[in-house]
Amino acid sequence: MIEFKDVSLVYPNGTQGLKDVNVTIKDGEFVVIVGLSGAGKSTFIRSINRIVTPTSGALLVDEEDILKYKGKDLRRLRTKVGMIFQNYNLVKRSNVMKNVLAGRLGHTGTFRSIVNLFSKEDRALAFESLRRVNIEEKLYNRADELSGGQQQRVSIARVLTQKPNYILADEPVASLDPPTSHQVMSYLKKINREDKITTIVNLHFIDMAMEYADRIIGMRAGEVVFDGPVSQVNEKTFEKIYGRAIREDDMRGGADLEED
Amino acid sequence: MKKTDTGLLTTGKTPSIYTSKTKSRLLLIFGVVLALYFLSTYQTNSTPGELVIGLPNLFALLAKFFPPNLEVLVASSVVAAFSETIQMAIIATTVAAILCVPLSLLGAQNITTNKYLYGFMRFFLNVLRTIPDIVLALIFVGIFGLGVFPGILALIIFSLGILAKLISETIESVDMNPLEAMQASGAGTIQMIYYGLVPQVLPQFSSLVLYVFEINIRASVVLGLVGAGGIGLVLDQQIRLYNLPNAMAIIIGIFILVVMIEYVSNKIREAIV
Amino acid sequence: MAELQMPPKKKRNPLNIAKKSLMAAVVIALYVWTFLGINIDWERAFERMANNFERVIPRLFRPDWNAFDKVLDAMIETLYIAFAGSLMAAILAIPLGFLAANNMTNNRFLTAVGKWILSAVRAFPDLILALLFVVAVGPNPFAGVLAIAIGSTGMLGKLYSEVLESVDMKVVEAMEANGANKLQILFHGVIPQVIPEFLSYAIYRFEVDVRASTILGVVGAGGIGTLIFFASSNRNWNEMGLIILIIIVVVTIIDFISAAIRKRIV
Repeated sequence: MIEFKDVSLVYPNGTQGLKDVNVTIKDGEFVVIVGLSGAGKSTFIRSINRIVTPTSGALLVDEEDILKYKGKDLRRLRTKVGMIFQNYNLVKRSNVMKNVLAGRLGHTGTFRSIVNLFSKEDRALAFESLRRVNIEEKLYNRADELSGGQQQRVSIARVLTQKPNYILADEPVASLDPPTSHQVMSYLKKINREDKITTIVNLHFIDMAMEYADRIIGMRAGEVVFDGPVSQVNEKTFEKIYGRAIREDDMRGGADLEED
Repeated sequence: MKKTDTGLLTTGKTPSIYTSKTKSRLLLIFGVVLALYFLSTYQTNSTPGELVIGLPNLFALLAKFFPPNLEVLVASSVVAAFSETIQMAIIATTVAAILCVPLSLLGAQNITTNKYLYGFMRFFLNVLRTIPDIVLALIFVGIFGLGVFPGILALIIFSLGILAKLISETIESVDMNPLEAMQASGAGTIQMIYYGLVPQVLPQFSSLVLYVFEINIRASVVLGLVGAGGIGLVLDQQIRLYNLPNAMAIIIGIFILVVMIEYVSNKIREAIV
Repeated sequence: MAELQMPPKKKRNPLNIAKKSLMAAVVIALYVWTFLGINIDWERAFERMANNFERVIPRLFRPDWNAFDKVLDAMIETLYIAFAGSLMAAILAIPLGFLAANNMTNNRFLTAVGKWILSAVRAFPDLILALLFVVAVGPNPFAGVLAIAIGSTGMLGKLYSEVLESVDMKVVEAMEANGANKLQILFHGVIPQVIPEFLSYAIYRFEVDVRASTILGVVGAGGIGTLIFFASSNRNWNEMGLIILIIIVVVTIIDFISAAIRKRIV
């Protein structure tokens, strides 16, 4: 369970990233955060694994306030929170297997990882993760030989290999075309269902949020301006969140799934 | 513009491409450069006049180096000295390549986020690079006496400055995204460097180490002139004894060595990057 | 997790393995040769160090300021040598650069000769050139100027030829079509395009030459190197400390000015 209690964050340059955020996310939920760019979506999810640190309030993950964490505790928190990025963040010159195994680093001692002593279980787990996103045949390809959608699937496999309780995805489809976007979202949804991993995704595409979310949280200027199940959401809700009329580029389109 | 019968373009009344202000500024710069040149040549006895008078003499004296006595190149002492030069460069490059790893991490702004530590490291590396290799060799000869050891030390320090600077620049140009992802999954700093950074810089690293090896070969050739081992020592002796054809043979040997090493090193570097 | 399947083994190309093993063997052989061949008398080195360390290192950090005027004069002479040498090289390199640029010289054989001359000149370490000229013209700054001039010509000529090869040839073709002759094309089509980069490289080379000319005096070719040589033979490490300090300061200032000027030019 993740609980935001009066969480605020002011960046050193004075920008207000989060303002009095109160949100509780229950285990197993699939939450989509929507809002325009700069609304604080990224700050919200990056607070959960402490890539950024809120300046006031309390943020509880599994009943522990993570804002006080340092060093070892911080690493322990991060090993149970997986993250997916807009630009996939793979080591382009390394092969797919090595990139996926990097998900185990938090569970592996520094010395063992440096002499490349990943256990048999870790290797098998990495391979299984790749199979779950259907990219196991690229095992020994270099990451930069893959397309954007394939790279994002590898990064999902990396997170799976980490065996997290939570997955954070920061604009995971912003660099992808519509069919690939739907494919990536479907994998995230499937993993959420099958492994009961709580998943929080930042999106700015309305149609995708509607299609995949259980619950939608709307943000504007660092504040939560909407929070409710997807059944309560309609176009008016988005106009309220965005503070303007809905435009065509707020939609991703291409809802009919294609296999690649 | 119209053409005159001499074939040259005349500007006539058409406006010039340069404004009169830039023109006078260019003229001023030109004047200063010329004045500095005459001052420099006067101070160093190399005015154009002296050059013209001196050149025939110069060629006459250089002629004494010819024909080179190429037999010297197969003499065992010369072969040993050449080997020593190469060995010094190999050892120095290896040690510098190892030592530069921590130094270049500390000198890279994206890894060393402490402003003062980074600033100090940059300053230190810049100062290190301004000390000439020969000066380092003389100091180490002063401490350890004549021989290869002070030469190797001088090469290590000298190439460390160059290598650490080039590699820290390479590190700064690295894609930090994968490191962020690893940090987010709970990896420690050393793991992030090993899994995120090393694969990205390794090809550049090898290429730069080879480049510094080339520099070390050239440097190690001349260190012998101040008693720090290698072929320079033999060259110095031959010149002192006025065995100029022998000296020329050694110079030709040095030339061949440098060209060969650069050729091989270039081929390998092309294959790496 | 025992039921999970292990990933398949990576397929390896035997040719690749052979190539890599050969490379590894060569590298290992080189290191074996190096460490068996190198002859370091550790005992003597450490004995000497025990005796001399105190006499050398602390004194380097206590510069002898009484020698300031002498050292500064020598440093200025070094700058004269570097300047005269660089400027000579900047001019000498122009015809060689044109000769080696394959869009300026249409004869393949001639460009090859040009490139060969330039790389041959570059292969000589500056100090070896200085040694040659000291024998030829005697131990004075003139030998230093010649060494710098010749040494820099190789590098500058190569850089110039690369600049020339990147020139926009459309301008040249347009002028040819208009009936301009070779000299007109040169002065109105080519030179305006390359002047900023030529200048920038020449200034950069001056920077390098300042560093190079600090040591020429060690073989008798004038400048501050002469003092370096005397300071070390007289074991006057306090003076050596001052010399190093002045070299560091002057070289840093020259680098800074040169970088600032080059930024404005290009």
